[in-house]
Amino acid sequence: MAVAPAGEAVVRLRGLLKRYAARVAVDGVDLCVQRGRMHGLIGPDGAGKSSLMKIVAGVLTHDGGTVEVFGQAIASERDAERVKQRIGLMPQGLGQNLYAELSIEENIDFFARLRGVDEQALAARKRQLLAMTRLERFRDRPMKKLSGGMKQKLGLVCTLIHEPELIILDEPTTGVDPVSRRDFWAILDELVSVRGLTALVSTAYMDEAARFATATMMLGGRVLAEGTPAELLAALPATVVSVKCREQVEAQRRLGASFRDTILRGPWLRTVVDAVPGEDAPARARSAEARVREALAGLAIEALDVDAPDLEDLFIARAASAGVAAARFAPAPAPAKRMERTHAPDYNAIEARGLVRQFGDFRAVDQVSFTVKPGEIFGLLGANGAGKTTVIKMLNGIQPPNAGSGAVAGADMIRAPGQIKRRIGYMSQAFSLYLDMTVRENLRLFAAIYGVPRARRDERVRELMRLCDIEGIEDMLAGDLPMGRRQRLALACALVHEPEVVFLDEPTSGVDPVGRRRFWDILFRLARHEGVALLITTHYMSEAEQCDHISLLYAGRVVADASPEQLKAELAGRRGELWAFDTPTPQATVKALQAAGFAGASLYGTAVHVLDPDGATLPARVAGVLAPLGLQAGPPHRRPLTMEDVFVERVLELEREAAQ
Amino acid sequence: MMSRMDWRDVLGRGLELVRKELLQLWRDRVLILFLLYVFTVDIYLAGSGLSFSLHNATIAVMDQDMSHASRELASRFQPPEFQRVAAPGDPRAAQQLLDTGRSMVVMQIPPRFQADLGAGRQAAVQYLVDSSNSVLGLLAGSHAAEIVGRYNLEQGAARLAATGAGGRLPGVDNAQRALFNANQNEAWFMGIAELLMLVTVFAIILPAVAAVREKERGTIEQLLVSPLRPLEILLPKVLAMTLVILAGVTLAIALVLRGVFDVPIRGSLPLFYAISALYVFTTSGIGLLLATIARNLAQVGMLAIMVLAPMMFLSGMWTPPEALATPVRVLMAVSPMHYYIDAGFGVLLKGMTLAELAQPLLAMALLGALAFGAGLARFRRQFA
Repeated sequence: MAVAPAGEAVVRLRGLLKRYAARVAVDGVDLCVQRGRMHGLIGPDGAGKSSLMKIVAGVLTHDGGTVEVFGQAIASERDAERVKQRIGLMPQGLGQNLYAELSIEENIDFFARLRGVDEQALAARKRQLLAMTRLERFRDRPMKKLSGGMKQKLGLVCTLIHEPELIILDEPTTGVDPVSRRDFWAILDELVSVRGLTALVSTAYMDEAARFATATMMLGGRVLAEGTPAELLAALPATVVSVKCREQVEAQRRLGASFRDTILRGPWLRTVVDAVPGEDAPARARSAEARVREALAGLAIEALDVDAPDLEDLFIARAASAGVAAARFAPAPAPAKRMERTHAPDYNAIEARGLVRQFGDFRAVDQVSFTVKPGEIFGLLGANGAGKTTVIKMLNGIQPPNAGSGAVAGADMIRAPGQIKRRIGYMSQAFSLYLDMTVRENLRLFAAIYGVPRARRDERVRELMRLCDIEGIEDMLAGDLPMGRRQRLALACALVHEPEVVFLDEPTSGVDPVGRRRFWDILFRLARHEGVALLITTHYMSEAEQCDHISLLYAGRVVADASPEQLKAELAGRRGELWAFDTPTPQATVKALQAAGFAGASLYGTAVHVLDPDGATLPARVAGVLAPLGLQAGPPHRRPLTMEDVFVERVLELEREAAQ
Repeated sequence: MMSRMDWRDVLGRGLELVRKELLQLWRDRVLILFLLYVFTVDIYLAGSGLSFSLHNATIAVMDQDMSHASRELASRFQPPEFQRVAAPGDPRAAQQLLDTGRSMVVMQIPPRFQADLGAGRQAAVQYLVDSSNSVLGLLAGSHAAEIVGRYNLEQGAARLAATGAGGRLPGVDNAQRALFNANQNEAWFMGIAELLMLVTVFAIILPAVAAVREKERGTIEQLLVSPLRPLEILLPKVLAMTLVILAGVTLAIALVLRGVFDVPIRGSLPLFYAISALYVFTTSGIGLLLATIARNLAQVGMLAIMVLAPMMFLSGMWTPPEALATPVRVLMAVSPMHYYIDAGFGVLLKGMTLAELAQPLLAMALLGALAFGAGLARFRRQFA
């Protein structure tokens, strides 16, 4: 392939417009993707990412603006045909473009023949790509038996088999666990930096924006922000102040009244404090802290931390200034009456003791135990297939365990599954609503199903609409609601009977960050004001940080069980702190450090992350590895450990143990 | 054990769920229009359009005799049954008429036809019948045979008269009296048959669609974690769909069967409704069974076609069981539709009473209960 100089524009969009009937999906987007770079599109469902990518790939027409791909103006299907051979598109959805019944090899062969790759070249490329993605061993395995991460890697191989110069990947990491996600990004990084590929990749995970050379944040068909991750962060002059307060409910009310964006993270409250114009960085941090202390005057502050904002904070700030309704939320009003639930001090809202569930030869859940207190937000994490759903089904009284026991909301799992069903609320990731029924009809139906007395139903429906912030849309069909509202309606439906325990199975997938924060605000109210115990599963590691207490499931077993804070402290104690340094040669640097045995060395855009216990001697040791290879790296900065680090490190450790 | 209060709760929940099913159906305007269409226009078309008698069958006469006798025979092929078209000159032209479909029957009258008859010898005519539609082919053949037979008789009688042996031939007068449908009005038969068929189709499809939709949307999970038991989830669907189908039946009977075709409803209408309700309720088990197998609407559609096609063949609607081979008759005995058709025609046209229908109804109820039980059991196993 003729490699043009880096920096040349491979894709250039000007004022791109796409409409579906009355809805505008892409609304005047300008975008430039440069050769040899990984360009990210970040935004929630419905931001216009997929439409934009399909237009660039030439499989969707546009209604306005200009599209240029490889210098070729795309105005007709024939124009698109001219560049199609140089493009590879991987559509959204796990294994969506693959054939479930065919094996890995058959899938690859099919795509190669479709693209007219000759047999000799095919054999060579197949070998190379399978080696790179470590799928070699599974050549003959049918696609439907692959894990989510493996399906995505196979999708990537099939997209690459005709050696395109530009690959377009639509949310390749959605629904994939954090470990497989890191693996996928590492492969992609290598393709881009070593083979000179250009990649346009979309994601719904804000924290993944850090992995791109250039990132474009989108919302509602428009561009919110664009730049390198560093540029993006520099564009938000704000400070994040986290405080730990015994009187958390009151503290949250006060912070909510004074600042734009406050969320709960276990015992912490995390507030984004916008800078006063004219402040420089050190002054900004000092004044932010002072303003938070002032807002909390009179309350005992147990701990306070100051940090830089992250990309999700930027997204929310931009969404707010772009006039997205409710990007700024009002503080949660305290409920008129506080729920009176009196329990013995050792009472557990959820108690699982040695749960086992066997499917044939496969042990889906193996000796799982944990407890959840009333008013606690409990996160159940794990990759797809780790056993989360089975645990929830057992606790819900739908599936009896093969061994073990437990109680939910005071009812025994084995003897009284019917009691459990009456006392719990459940919200699934599908937001299981009747889309052809209105908001009120949905709520009334579930109220009837749960036996809310007729006389109380209307009142309860009104209460829920207020609590879940869905007032004023009573007569809209659920199917016409945007994702965020639909999600809050689903939550309201799960709460009709004032359950003591609520199960939430990936309740925020597909919802934008603003919607996710509002949702968590309601969860916070339920837990802290009404003493409801919440069990939540999520793929968003940033949400895992918000839980009071986490259990990590791996192959059906609990492999970590503590608060996020404890888990991070434990990782820091065992493996060290997280350090990031910039380098002009990220790919070679990360390879060299991995080879030299640096723990957790991985690539984030132009920065390399490592875990290391000794920050003082780290620069010298890194230089010792890099200098002989002619590589350089900047000074290391300490970064806060995230739940993703905890998750990935723990699972990799277990995989290593299992391999031995 | 459940107290009385609990039962009231269960009932209240059930009614709310029936209401929900009806509401959802009502919001599905396309389905509503389709239901309105089939229970009116479709039954009308079936009753008035489809016909099993021979109408204007095209016949080409290749007359190689060109005699008085041959013309006499040919002239007996008249409307409404037959319609004469161009006379081909040679066998090749005749074949072409059949091949191109311009003629359905070719009758060849050989040379010396009149001479042979006159001499008292056997004269032969040949028919070539396009039997690609076997029913029409058969009808055309038998009508032609009847015409020729009558011609034969007349020829014989004429010859007898000529020899002076008296003008009458001994013979059996075929006196036939049609019961229940005196004019053998096909609209009655076809209209009722179509209605019974539609009831069957929707009894399977509507509950299957309602159930599989919940599965597709994931709402079924939400119901399963609620205090509802599997039966409480399925029963309201079946009840709601039974109501909808009975409404369709009412429409069809009032507007089409009575309104247009003047079908005399001889039996008790309430009895027919009761039978239909029982039938719909029990047959819906098959639909629920399909819903547990299928993953989406498209699959339900295909499975329904797979199940409905043999059910209809084996319903006895087009062929009485006595005419079938024994293994097929055994299969027929397990098709609930077979009993419904017996009972349906029995009540509507023959005015049969409950007592007279006890046996088919019992069989229908039994088979239906089995289907419903199987559907419920699979549903339980799949989700619980």
